[in-house]
Amino acid sequence: MRSDQTQTGVRHRWPDRAFHWVMAATVIVLTGSAFLPILGIRFDWVPIHWISGIVLVVAILFHLVRVFAVHGFREMIPGPEDIREAAGDLAGRAGGLKPAKYDAYQKSYHWASAIAVLAVTITGVIMLLKIDTPFWRRDPSIMSDQDWGVVYVIHGLSSLAILFLVILHVYFSILPEHRAMLRAMIAGRGPLFARGNTHEQD
Amino acid sequence: MELLRYTKDVFGQKMLVGVNWELLWIPGAAAGLVIVVHFLLRARRRAR
Repeated sequence: MRSDQTQTGVRHRWPDRAFHWVMAATVIVLTGSAFLPILGIRFDWVPIHWISGIVLVVAILFHLVRVFAVHGFREMIPGPEDIREAAGDLAGRAGGLKPAKYDAYQKSYHWASAIAVLAVTITGVIMLLKIDTPFWRRDPSIMSDQDWGVVYVIHGLSSLAILFLVILHVYFSILPEHRAMLRAMIAGRGPLFARGNTHEQD
Repeated sequence: MELLRYTKDVFGQKMLVGVNWELLWIPGAAAGLVIVVHFLLRARRRAR
């Protein structure tokens, strides 16, 4: 029996790491091109924004293929064990939990960011119909002005949520106790389990 | 401070145009607050 925190192996395969970093890069470019003009830094942000948005859409589709064809949902679905973990953590208790690749906080973060990114991406794809590109002509007449307003509101609120989540993600990823997880997202190898006391390696 | 921005269409009716970007500081402030609280709890837990 070995401690899960020291049981290492390939935590993230290269296609999943590539997805993570492509998504990270596009989210940084998208938030920068969206919010810097609002803060008064003027540049031609629209082409940068929609092109990086398309890259993000492709990355998300790739991730969904990986989820359905390779990973499955099981490791990321929250369950009673996650509630026990969070409750125990708040009460200052630790241990007695089944090993899991992702802990309750990682799952919570994943689903919060998944909802926000899907909301911003779906509304962003709809908003592509408001601009001319080399691939399509604009056609804003598909929706009423009021409906476009709703799309803008969802896009805006989800982008604010993403800004909040990105700041937290960067903070938690650079904490010394999470450095092994960060290294695993760069090089692949790292702790196989984010929580649990002991586990026999298969 | 309002959450949403409105304008008036050509008929003078109120029309939704999006989120009020004057609220842009809120996600940063909220994230900063979570970070400070977590950092303090973490320091207290380590001191025990």
